[in-house]
Amino acid sequence: MATEFCPVYSPFFGVMGCVSSIVFTCLGAGYGTAKSGVGITAMGVMRPDLIIRGLFPVVLAGIVGIYGLVVSVVISGGLTQNLSLFSSFVQLGSGLSVGLAGLAAGFAIGIVGDAGVRGFAQQPKLFVGMMLILIFAEVLAIYGLIVALILNTRAGSGTCE
Amino acid sequence: MLSTTTYAMNNSPSYGKYYYGGLYSLLSFILTVIVLYYVLTGRGERIDIGWFLSETSPYMWASLGVGIAVSLSVVGAALGIYTTGTSIIGGGVKAPRIKTKNLISVIFCEAVAIYGLIIAIVLSGNIESYTQSLVDTDDVIKARNWYAGYCMFGAGVTTGVVNLVCGICVGQVGSGAALSDAADPTLFVRILIVEIFGSAIGLFGLIISVLLTSKAKMGDKN
Repeated sequence: MATEFCPVYSPFFGVMGCVSSIVFTCLGAGYGTAKSGVGITAMGVMRPDLIIRGLFPVVLAGIVGIYGLVVSVVISGGLTQNLSLFSSFVQLGSGLSVGLAGLAAGFAIGIVGDAGVRGFAQQPKLFVGMMLILIFAEVLAIYGLIVALILNTRAGSGTCE
Repeated sequence: MLSTTTYAMNNSPSYGKYYYGGLYSLLSFILTVIVLYYVLTGRGERIDIGWFLSETSPYMWASLGVGIAVSLSVVGAALGIYTTGTSIIGGGVKAPRIKTKNLISVIFCEAVAIYGLIIAIVLSGNIESYTQSLVDTDDVIKARNWYAGYCMFGAGVTTGVVNLVCGICVGQVGSGAALSDAADPTLFVRILIVEIFGSAIGLFGLIISVLLTSKAKMGDKN
């Protein structure tokens, strides 16, 4: 039954939250994979033995995509047809928070990964430094994930009255 | 007099570089004027997003989802294929042995287009017709159909944009793989691992699209 607080259009915002979480994190993950992948192919010609360790930025970029996947699945579990505006806007906020944070983290991982693997090929002792910087970049996406999950636990508490 | 005119004709500054900046500022100015008009003359409530969302037909949302799913996925696949393809051809000039093995990168990009096609076919199978008179009287059936329309739009946009990104990503990495394969044949399998990570991004979008599609049920039943 549509009321003032559960209008017929409110699931739109929840769906947009679900969409934005996966779309933006995949944008970040794609950029991270592509940029650091190009760096790995460049360094691999010089030092083929270091390629496997050089895959570290690519793995981290993939993990950013998984954060978005997790939040999307959680949001979509909360989507129903009789959704209060409160719940759907909370879902939109949660999706945007992990999405844009993941986008930023993916960009950072890509740029640092590209420069990192190229430097790592010339000086293998740089691996630990590159790993630390990449982990700091990854943690940005985790912040978004935390906020998204905290918001999402509130999403179920909207009523239609 | 004549010498200054000739100087002006030969050394006149070009303003072509301000094209995009000028266009963007013009559009923002027009948008600001429109927004301020609505806000300052008390007509703010006429900008009604809720009215727009509830008056547009769920068929529009569902069909947009279907269209965006396949078209953007194909755009992503095409961008990937041309990036990889040019590098394979370029590297193959000096190392023709790379041409068959590196078709795998092209196939990874093509797979992205296939994901989009599958989702579009599944989504279009989900579009059912409902009776308008039933929807006008029964709120629950109207809510179900409108919800289905939004979910299908979301599923389509998810697939489309994620596959666009995935295609570009796999193309970039595939291009690098082709050139490093041309330099050293042992490298190809290791760079393929990066391409597989890139392909996984497209699969994430597919999973969420399928999840959203499963929630969408149009029609006359409750």
